[in-house]
Amino acid sequence: MTTQPHEKTLEIRQLNATLPNGMRLLRDVSLTLEPGEVRALVGESGAGKSMIGRAVLGILPSAVVHSSGDILLEGQSLNALRPKTRRSTVAKMSALIPQDPLTALNPVRKIGPQITDPLVRIHRWSRDRALKRALELLERVHIRNPERVINSYPHELSGGMRQRILIAAAFAPSPRLIVADEPTTALDVTVQKQILQLIRELQRETGTAVLFVTHDMGVVAKISQKVTVLFAGRVLEDAPTEAIFNDATHPYTRGLIAATPTPNATAEPFRPVPQDLIAQLQRDTQAEDMRFYQGGRK
Amino acid sequence: MVDATMPLRRRRFRVRNLRFWIPLTWIMMLVLAALCAPLIAPHDPLAQDLFLERLPPFFMDGAEPGYWLGTDSLGRDVLSRMIYGARIALFVSVIAAVSTGIFGSTLGLLAGYYGGWWDRVISRLVDIWMAFPPVLFAVLLVAVMGTGLTSVIAAIALIDWTRFARVIRAETMVQAHMDYVDSARIGGARRFTTLVSEILPNVMPSIIALLMLEMGIAVIVEAILSFVNLSISSDDPTWGSMIAEGRGAIHFAWWVLLFPLITLFLTVLSFSTLGEGIKKKFDPVLSS
Repeated sequence: MTTQPHEKTLEIRQLNATLPNGMRLLRDVSLTLEPGEVRALVGESGAGKSMIGRAVLGILPSAVVHSSGDILLEGQSLNALRPKTRRSTVAKMSALIPQDPLTALNPVRKIGPQITDPLVRIHRWSRDRALKRALELLERVHIRNPERVINSYPHELSGGMRQRILIAAAFAPSPRLIVADEPTTALDVTVQKQILQLIRELQRETGTAVLFVTHDMGVVAKISQKVTVLFAGRVLEDAPTEAIFNDATHPYTRGLIAATPTPNATAEPFRPVPQDLIAQLQRDTQAEDMRFYQGGRK
Repeated sequence: MVDATMPLRRRRFRVRNLRFWIPLTWIMMLVLAALCAPLIAPHDPLAQDLFLERLPPFFMDGAEPGYWLGTDSLGRDVLSRMIYGARIALFVSVIAAVSTGIFGSTLGLLAGYYGGWWDRVISRLVDIWMAFPPVLFAVLLVAVMGTGLTSVIAAIALIDWTRFARVIRAETMVQAHMDYVDSARIGGARRFTTLVSEILPNVMPSIIALLMLEMGIAVIVEAILSFVNLSISSDDPTWGSMIAEGRGAIHFAWWVLLFPLITLFLTVLSFSTLGEGIKKKFDPVLSS
């Protein structure tokens, strides 16, 4: 696998996804990710943030009947690959940090093989080498006593510990791309900060590109260089993080930023994104759907 | 605070253990009796002695020493027949339950994980299958295949696989939506590998619980088929045929009916209770 240094790690072109009832989950989503870059995907629930990550990793729910567009990993079009090759290509280059550490580890299997399996299966490492790598990474994510943890079952460990393990597992095969699907949402606030810190550290050390799915603008500011704002499966805005926070062009983005509660302004009332703005966006989306279906595109 | 919660935990622990150990002891006794039948049975189960017909059990007047649970209308020792009956009952229940379990669970796993046409075909088949009255079905199958233990076992497997298929399909669907399945897929695992090494271990406790339940059901089905004389030759001692024979003599020799009936009841109860207990012990989350 030859890679030119200037190649984009991830390029999504005109991605669409539709449910059997005609509901569109993703509408012409395009975005790129440079090597070593962190891009945040933000938007409200159901905006299609996670769906994009899942599409990249090839784990869209089976209910999604139709999807079009293309995904390129380091210039390699996934559409051009046969399903089997596609799976191994994606597995070689990318990894996932899942949202819920409680269900993301198989409860009846020990931690060790859950980290080493992909290394052995995809990267053809020996068991010993994979185990060494797993221990090294567990130590790296500040787990005391990695030898003991590797022989534990998930239920013997706390949520924070499990999320650390999942981070270790994601970074273990040194992937080019990591999809982090709201990795801090299921954790309590004190642990959230540490986990975020950890992901950022490891990301900087390894230079892995990260697609960071979140709905927390505070997290966005801390971790990402670029932001993609989504609404109803549509890209509303795509800009560097600083630009988003300093002068967002789209009113919805400004609404999102304004809605983020700040710790020093408890007296200030909570300001959600204005209802009429959301209603306007929904009307736009519907109008676009009408054009989409009448236009006779597939 | 730790001290206050300790006795509570210990008590719960003990009750759960009793529910596990009592049925286990009963089953182990049966297994032992079945294995060592020739050694422990006081009499030949087939030996008839018309001078000793309808002897009452040991605690009643007129009991003959050595015939602990009395004799039947042909003077055969009830206890010995029950011990030999355990051989047939256990043999049938283990073989029938395991084959039913393998067949039904496989279909359940495939339907639950692959979905689509697999699921449609298997689920419809289950629906159709379950619309058939099971006992009639069993009698029909044995009538077609001829009597004998093989037919009984085949009949049980052919009828009851739907129980496994339905439950395991539902369990598999729940597990298939867990994030760890996605993680395995992202880690490059093929679908079949994911099913066998990630999902199967998680539905195993349910399979084992069902297996135990199925063993109990197999004992009953075998008894029903022997009762209507469709199992093995009526000479061979089975609990079902003993109950059938005892039925005719219930007014003057109730023990011929009652003792096999109690044994049957306790065995079926033990299997289903044990199933629950084992499920809990196998599950790393429930058992800790």
